[in-house]
Amino acid sequence: MNIERSSNWREDFNKRLEENGPWDSWSLYKMSYEIEKMNLIPEFSGLQAPKFLTNLMFLPHQMEAAQTVIEKMNGKAILADEVGLGKTIEAGLIMKEYMIRGLVKKALILVPASLQNQWVTELNVRFFIPAIPYRKNTPLDQYDVVIMSMDTAKKSPHREKIYEQDYDMIIIDEAHKLKNHKTQIYEFVQSLKKKFCLLLTATPIQNDVFEIFYLVSLLKPGHLGNFESFQSSFSATKHTLKEEKYLKELVNQVMVRNRRQDTGIEWTSRKVQTIPVIFTEGEREIYDMIFDLKNVSSVFKSSFTMVTLLKEMCSSKEATFLTLNKMLEKCITKEETDYIESIIAKMMTLEVNSKAEKVLEIIEAANDKVLIFTEYRATQAYLQWYLYTKGISSSLFNGKFSKSKRDWVKQLFRERDQVLIATESGGEGINLQFCHHVINYDLPWNPMKIEQRIGRVHRLGQEHDVHIYNLAIEDTIEQKILDLLGDKIDVFEKVVGDLDAILAT
Amino acid sequence: MFATQVHDYLRTFFRETKCEIESDEGHIMTVQLTIDIDKKIMNRPFYWQYVETTGMPSNPARLTLITDRSKIENQFMGEMIHFGSRRLNQIFKATKELGAFVKMYQSVPIVENGNRPTLMPYFCVNYKISYYCDQTKEKLYSLGINLVNGNIQDHFHESIFELELQNEQPENIFCLPYIIKPHRGLERLDEMIQSIVQNDDHTWAHEANMRWEKEQEVLDYFYEGVEEKPECYEIEKKALKERFNPRIKVEIINGGLFYLL
Repeated sequence: MNIERSSNWREDFNKRLEENGPWDSWSLYKMSYEIEKMNLIPEFSGLQAPKFLTNLMFLPHQMEAAQTVIEKMNGKAILADEVGLGKTIEAGLIMKEYMIRGLVKKALILVPASLQNQWVTELNVRFFIPAIPYRKNTPLDQYDVVIMSMDTAKKSPHREKIYEQDYDMIIIDEAHKLKNHKTQIYEFVQSLKKKFCLLLTATPIQNDVFEIFYLVSLLKPGHLGNFESFQSSFSATKHTLKEEKYLKELVNQVMVRNRRQDTGIEWTSRKVQTIPVIFTEGEREIYDMIFDLKNVSSVFKSSFTMVTLLKEMCSSKEATFLTLNKMLEKCITKEETDYIESIIAKMMTLEVNSKAEKVLEIIEAANDKVLIFTEYRATQAYLQWYLYTKGISSSLFNGKFSKSKRDWVKQLFRERDQVLIATESGGEGINLQFCHHVINYDLPWNPMKIEQRIGRVHRLGQEHDVHIYNLAIEDTIEQKILDLLGDKIDVFEKVVGDLDAILAT
Repeated sequence: MFATQVHDYLRTFFRETKCEIESDEGHIMTVQLTIDIDKKIMNRPFYWQYVETTGMPSNPARLTLITDRSKIENQFMGEMIHFGSRRLNQIFKATKELGAFVKMYQSVPIVENGNRPTLMPYFCVNYKISYYCDQTKEKLYSLGINLVNGNIQDHFHESIFELELQNEQPENIFCLPYIIKPHRGLERLDEMIQSIVQNDDHTWAHEANMRWEKEQEVLDYFYEGVEEKPECYEIEKKALKERFNPRIKVEIINGGLFYLL
């Protein structure tokens, strides 16, 4: 076998021998040997990193995950712990271990832009890994560990610059963003050399079983077969699975997933309620008018716009108004314009928002901090105003906030306001364990998004039971969403494992 | 490494490198670095480049290092240093550079009867062997060769590290001249370490090759029937090789000449 002999010690020694010196200190000589002995990696297996990271208290499931990835999965894995169990810690631990073992020197970490700084801090402060955030013109060859936003990485000229580097390890956070193999980011990652690779996501399946196929194929092409064989064995239709047990086993060979209840930590429980809301007559009338739009003119036939409008109407007239206004511009005939204007006119007279009233009821009953999620900015603003008129102070949060603004809003919510109203994009990267009530004001199509939302509150450090309120208006599209969410959770459970209660059954 | 061990280590390091320890309370110390040590452990090459090109007076750092935070009220008084921290790693690195080559003589008490004691020359090399695949294992060997009779012994460092040694040749002793030249001794030790490595159990390499083969099969399956394999196939293949290909590295930590009784 090839033996590499490194060091120019031999030449240096001969030179010193000829010149009789200079000779080094005996104490430093002995100390140097002692350090080598202390830092020696005596076994292929086991973890060395924890002894260098005495500042961190690793939980048993985190150590186990790191060990499994290194020893059983040979350094390529999906880390799919449920939200709040410390996937970042596990990834940091694995990376540190490889760095100590001399197997990883250069590493690239791809994250959503909003999490970039958090990663930088985490790696530097907790793991003593000198990671830097990538900015335009950061010379990649001069920094070993770089944290970059996915959106930047996939674009020219950054992607070419990355390809020029020779990374030993690639870590991708919120890897469910790679579920679609037709996207630019997917292609980018596919062509990236992945020697050691970790994909982090709490939600490896969001909608259908092909997502896990594409995710695994990115990590380890062939592990789930190729597309044809996968399709013929595992999916008659998208939502039902015949050989799910076999698939589950295959997936588990490349995926670590800890669930709250496996962690040995005492978790507070989730109390999930679906709260039906009934439209007032006025609201119902407008909802039905919107529903009939498609019969008025072909301009309104786009099912996407229709669904959006219906969902918005279930949220607030403010949200609906914006979309309707845009549609006005598309109208050609007078008939079309008149119809929309009649809807708008009706909306103007509307004084009650049944859902908002329900929210107020919940907040008053909770008599505690409440986190509200909505999908729409207009609804967000409306709710703040509405609650203000009822004497309840609130702050707003969305994912575009900078790190410092996030911290500020979190501070406000903790110290001053009873309510925090967040939009969807605010679901990731803010931790609010001091709050115990979450209202899903409107429901996204994707169950994992709800899980991400709840995870803001129900995570390590939560000391109380967490109450989740899912609001759904009866006899509307929200009812359908609720049913569909149930189906999707079913697929997920068959392939990936059980989910904590997201929707009340 | 516990806080007190780190503290003792730092104390010895700075004493040996001639950095003045201005105060030392057992859990916190203030030390004035020399220019040389500043360059090695402060990680500020641009500063030194600037100082040297402009010729302005240099100002090596004065550090306050805290080894035990629990005994400190105001933690902002200095820099926390502990096992795993970057500063300590830099100091470890500096130690390695500054403790690489020695020439030592055993201290001998003066003998009354006038017989001059004789010291025997030895040459020692401390090796580190690293076995790499997708995992790592390391071994240390301290080999010493008697430069008169050519005998090689393992665990050489362990046999001498507690002896009282000095770097000047003691008076009234006789040092046997070496018959085997040190560079020849080095060659003999290199051969020895080579044979130790070759005769070691290499099941690990075999297993790594098996893992490699298995993953290669999986990859090939993905592209089965594809006539012209895309670039990502080659990239993946290369990544597999880099990850699993077993390799061995032999590194010298330090070594030197020893004259021993």
